[in-house]
Amino acid sequence: MDPRRVRAVARRIVLQFRRDRRSLGLLFIAPILVLTLVGQLWGSSTASKVRIIAVGDPPPELLDAFKGTDIDLTVADRDAALDSLKAGTADAIVEFQENSADVTVEGSDPTRTGTIVGQVQAALTHLILETPLASFVKVSYLYGGPQYTLLDYLAPVLIGFFAYFFIFLLSCVSFLRERTSGTLERLLASPLKRGELILGYLGGFGVFALLQALVILAWTVFVLKVQYRGNLATIFIVEATLVVGAVSLGLAISAFARNELQAVQFIPLVILPQAFLSGLLVPVDQLNDWLRPISRVLPLTYATEALRSVMVKGYPLTDPLILRDIAILAGFALVVAIAAVASIRREVA
Amino acid sequence: MRRLVAPLAVEARDIRKHFGSVTALDGLTLSVNVGEIYGLLGPNGSGKTTFIRVLAGLVRPDAGDITIFGRPPRDAVAGGGVGYMTQAAALYGELSVDENLRFFAALEGVGDVEARIADALGRVGLLERRRSVVNTLSGGMRTRVSLAATLLHGPKLLLLDEPTVGVDPAQRREFWEHFRALASSGVTILVSSHVMDEASRCDRLGLIRAGKVLAEGSARELVTRAGTSDLESAFLALSAAG
Repeated sequence: MDPRRVRAVARRIVLQFRRDRRSLGLLFIAPILVLTLVGQLWGSSTASKVRIIAVGDPPPELLDAFKGTDIDLTVADRDAALDSLKAGTADAIVEFQENSADVTVEGSDPTRTGTIVGQVQAALTHLILETPLASFVKVSYLYGGPQYTLLDYLAPVLIGFFAYFFIFLLSCVSFLRERTSGTLERLLASPLKRGELILGYLGGFGVFALLQALVILAWTVFVLKVQYRGNLATIFIVEATLVVGAVSLGLAISAFARNELQAVQFIPLVILPQAFLSGLLVPVDQLNDWLRPISRVLPLTYATEALRSVMVKGYPLTDPLILRDIAILAGFALVVAIAAVASIRREVA
Repeated sequence: MRRLVAPLAVEARDIRKHFGSVTALDGLTLSVNVGEIYGLLGPNGSGKTTFIRVLAGLVRPDAGDITIFGRPPRDAVAGGGVGYMTQAAALYGELSVDENLRFFAALEGVGDVEARIADALGRVGLLERRRSVVNTLSGGMRTRVSLAATLLHGPKLLLLDEPTVGVDPAQRREFWEHFRALASSGVTILVSSHVMDEASRCDRLGLIRAGKVLAEGSARELVTRAGTSDLESAFLALSAAG
C-alpha cells in the first residue's frame, strides 16, 4: 500500500469532479430543494380544520361547543351532506340520535380517518362532559412536545437518506465510467493496487460526501429550523459514517451494471427498500415479523435509529446505542469496501 | 541461435485462454528480442488484444508459460517495466493533458515529473497543448497523449494495441518514427495491427489467426516463404496453409 498512489487517485477525483459543474450542482442543490419541499409539506404544526356536517336534529348547544375548536361544523340535510362527503368538501357526517351520534367518514385515507375520528370523539366528549377533554386529560411529553411537527420527527431520517442516496448514485456512476471508458484497464496495468484505487475513491468522494452531509445538516437545522436536542457534531459523525458506506456501496454495485442506465435501475433495488424498511415510513418495531430481520441488515436502519435518538431524544455520542450504531455503520462501510476491491477483477472479457 | 543468457523481452510458450466457450488463445507461442519492434499481425478477433492483455497482467492464461524479461507479467508491470497503451485512449476527458500525465506519473512513482512530462509531450509533439483539456483535443491528439502517458516512466517494454487507429497518415508516419527512435534507445516494442503497411515497418512479425501464431519472421522472410509479391498476399497464403 503506497499512500502516494492513494492520494493521486483521490486528488484526480476531486479535480475531475470540480470541473463537472452539473453533478456538483445536483449533489448540493438537489437535496436542499427536496428537503425544502418536504419541509413545506410536513413542517406545519397547524393541522387543517376538520369539516363536519351535522344532520338530523343537532342540539343547539352543539354549535356553540364547536366554536373555537379545530372543527368546522355546519348543518345540512342528509343527502346534501353525503354529496359533500363524496365530493371531498366535508370530512365527516355526524347524525345525532337520542342517546348516540352516528359518525360517517370518507375513509379512503386511513391516517386522515384516524385524525378525524379522534377529533370528533374529543369534541363530542367535550359536549357531553360540558368541559374540554384537555382540562382533565393532561398530556406531557418525554420527547418532542406540542409544537413538534411531523418534519421534526422525520428530519433525522431524511438527513440520512438524502446524503446516502445522492452520494451512492454519484460514486456508482463515476466508478462505472472508470470501468467502461477503458481507464480502469489502464490503471490495472500500472503498479496501482486494487485496494489503493478503492481507498483513493473513498478519499476523493469522501470529501464531497462529507461536504454534502454538512450542507444537508446545516440546511435542515438553520434554514428549515428543525427542532433537535442532541449535539450537532454527534449528528454529523453518524451521518459521516453512513456516507462513507454509501460511497463504498456505489463502487461495489457498479460492478453489476454495464452502463449508466442500469446503474440508475439499481436504485429501486438498493435504495428504495432501505427507505421503506429503515423507519422512514413505518417504525422498525411495527414492521412484519419477516420484514424486521431484513431491516436489521440495512445500514440506513441504524443510521435512522442513531440520528433519531440524537436529534429527537438528545442522546450523547457516548451513549451505548449511538456507539453501537456507529460501529455497525463503520463495519458496513468496511465490508462493502472490501467487496468493492473484490469486484475489480483484472480479468474482464 | 537464440540467446541463452540474457532473458528475452517476451517469451510466451503454448498460451491458452478461453472466455466461456470462446477460445481466444489456442497455444500461442512467440518470443520478442530485447530492443526490437515486434508486430502482431492478424484480423480482428484473432487474439491480438487478449495476448497483449496477458502481457499487461490483465488476463491470466488458462495454460502456458509467459515471462517479461524473465519475470511473470504482473511482477514486471508492478515493477514499472511495462507501458501499456490501450486501443482507445485511456484518459480523463475533464482533466487537462498535464493533469492526466501527472496522475499517471504519480501511479508509476515517477520522479522529476516536470521534466518527464515535458520530454514525453515533446516526443509526441504536443508540448504546446499541455494545458488543454483532453475533451477539447482531436482523436489523434488524444492517442498521442495516451502514448505520452505510456512513456512517462521509461518502460523497457511498450505494449501498443493498434496505436494508430484514428491517426491520420502524416501522424502515423511520425508515430512510427517515435517507435523507431524508442527502439534505438533500447526499448522493446510489441505492437498489434491489422494494417499491412505498418507491419512492414516492424523488425519481426507474428501472423496470428484463431489464437495461434501461424508464421513468424521479418516481412521479407514471410513474403519469401509464401512465395508471394507482397505481405498481404503472404498473410492470406500462410493463413490458408495454416
